[in-house]
Amino acid sequence: MKKVLILAMLIPLALMLVNCGGGKPKAKMQEIPEWYLNPPQAEDVIYEAGDAAKMSMALAKEASDARARDGISRVIEVKVSNMLKNFMQQSGLGEDAEALEFTSSVSKQVANTVLRGCRIAKREMKTEGSQYHAYSLAEYNLNSLIQETLNEAKKQKALYNEAKANLSFDDLEKEIDKLEAIGE
Amino acid sequence: MKRKSIVIFTIAVIQLCGAFPNRILSEALSQTVISSWFEQLPEAPAGTMFSVGYSGKYQDVTIAEQVAINLALKNMAKQKQIQLIFEVEELADGKLRLLNPTFEQSYEESILIQIKNNFSIVDSLLTEDGYFILLAYPSTGKLSFDSTKPKVWGSQPEWIRELPTSKDWIYGVGIVARYSSWVRAWKDADEYARFDLGKNIEIEAESIHTVQRDDRFTIESKILRQSYDITLRNSVIVEGWYDAKRDIYYSLCRSAKQ
Repeated sequence: MKKVLILAMLIPLALMLVNCGGGKPKAKMQEIPEWYLNPPQAEDVIYEAGDAAKMSMALAKEASDARARDGISRVIEVKVSNMLKNFMQQSGLGEDAEALEFTSSVSKQVANTVLRGCRIAKREMKTEGSQYHAYSLAEYNLNSLIQETLNEAKKQKALYNEAKANLSFDDLEKEIDKLEAIGE
Repeated sequence: MKRKSIVIFTIAVIQLCGAFPNRILSEALSQTVISSWFEQLPEAPAGTMFSVGYSGKYQDVTIAEQVAINLALKNMAKQKQIQLIFEVEELADGKLRLLNPTFEQSYEESILIQIKNNFSIVDSLLTEDGYFILLAYPSTGKLSFDSTKPKVWGSQPEWIRELPTSKDWIYGVGIVARYSSWVRAWKDADEYARFDLGKNIEIEAESIHTVQRDDRFTIESKILRQSYDITLRNSVIVEGWYDAKRDIYYSLCRSAKQ
């Protein structure tokens, strides 16, 4: 009975080794969409590609879409800070001393923006073993960005005009009179 | 009892390794015959909205019909107005990678009651896999609409590879795979399509990427957060497609540009 049990436990293990061995499968080059390797370029549109491999197709799609959109947001508004450090270290004494030179660099990119009308124009889903590999191409039309900026400028101008209309010269003079009265 | 648990364990291992039983199981449970309006929703007459409902296999057809109607009514309410709250976070520190998407949706109970009081059944179809129903709101008289015959899925539509572009409409695509229940799969694909549409309208994107390099290693860390809170009106699931070979469900959602 024990032997049967051990055998029963070993069969799945063997299957697992046969089927799952060899680590994570990699995408075949010919299966990678051309637009992922060479995203289209245009003067008035920003394109950024993203990809993700997950066991769940829905998750793979979410991750690759998010990465493609993140690429767009980083192109639009990126604050980059770089830091470079050089270390010189010496250990030991006299002629036996060993000098070590160590260079370290840190770069940090921070992006925070609201994307309006940024769409996933193309998407492809490939299977790699038991995983789904999603490729997404995000597209952001700069005309919509310009329009957005213009709309914002119009709003600001309207607010300014409204404030100006509410604040007449008479009111201003009264305010000045008040201030002068306090000064006396 | 012991044997049973071992058998279950063996099946679980085979399925984990992506072997064939999973596909056989899902193909047996997924749908093959549909109505044309399930694949592509027809344009509704002015002032009217269509919505589709479906249910799985029931012994009692009246229950199947009622379940399908209830789903169609909910879909109609969501179509009219729905609030979507979405957030996705991804954290990666070189070793660990975490992805956490959250989806929240809510629709008005009052809208659902309005629809319940004034709808009509345009068409319905009973297949071996389940029950399909097409509703109209507000209730209409006899529509000049061809009652469709059951059909099989057509070839892959273009919108799966490339999102349609339009001056008047915004689109979103929902994709799910490897579901044991086709009803659950379509429900989720439809919801994902709606959330995808929301992302194409407006999304707040924040991220911090750091790259640390020294003479030997490069460590990349990333925190990414994208979110939106939006209310959609007149967002309709206009098309669906099932890839029987790969067991993938696709939904296309459409909404007018506001």
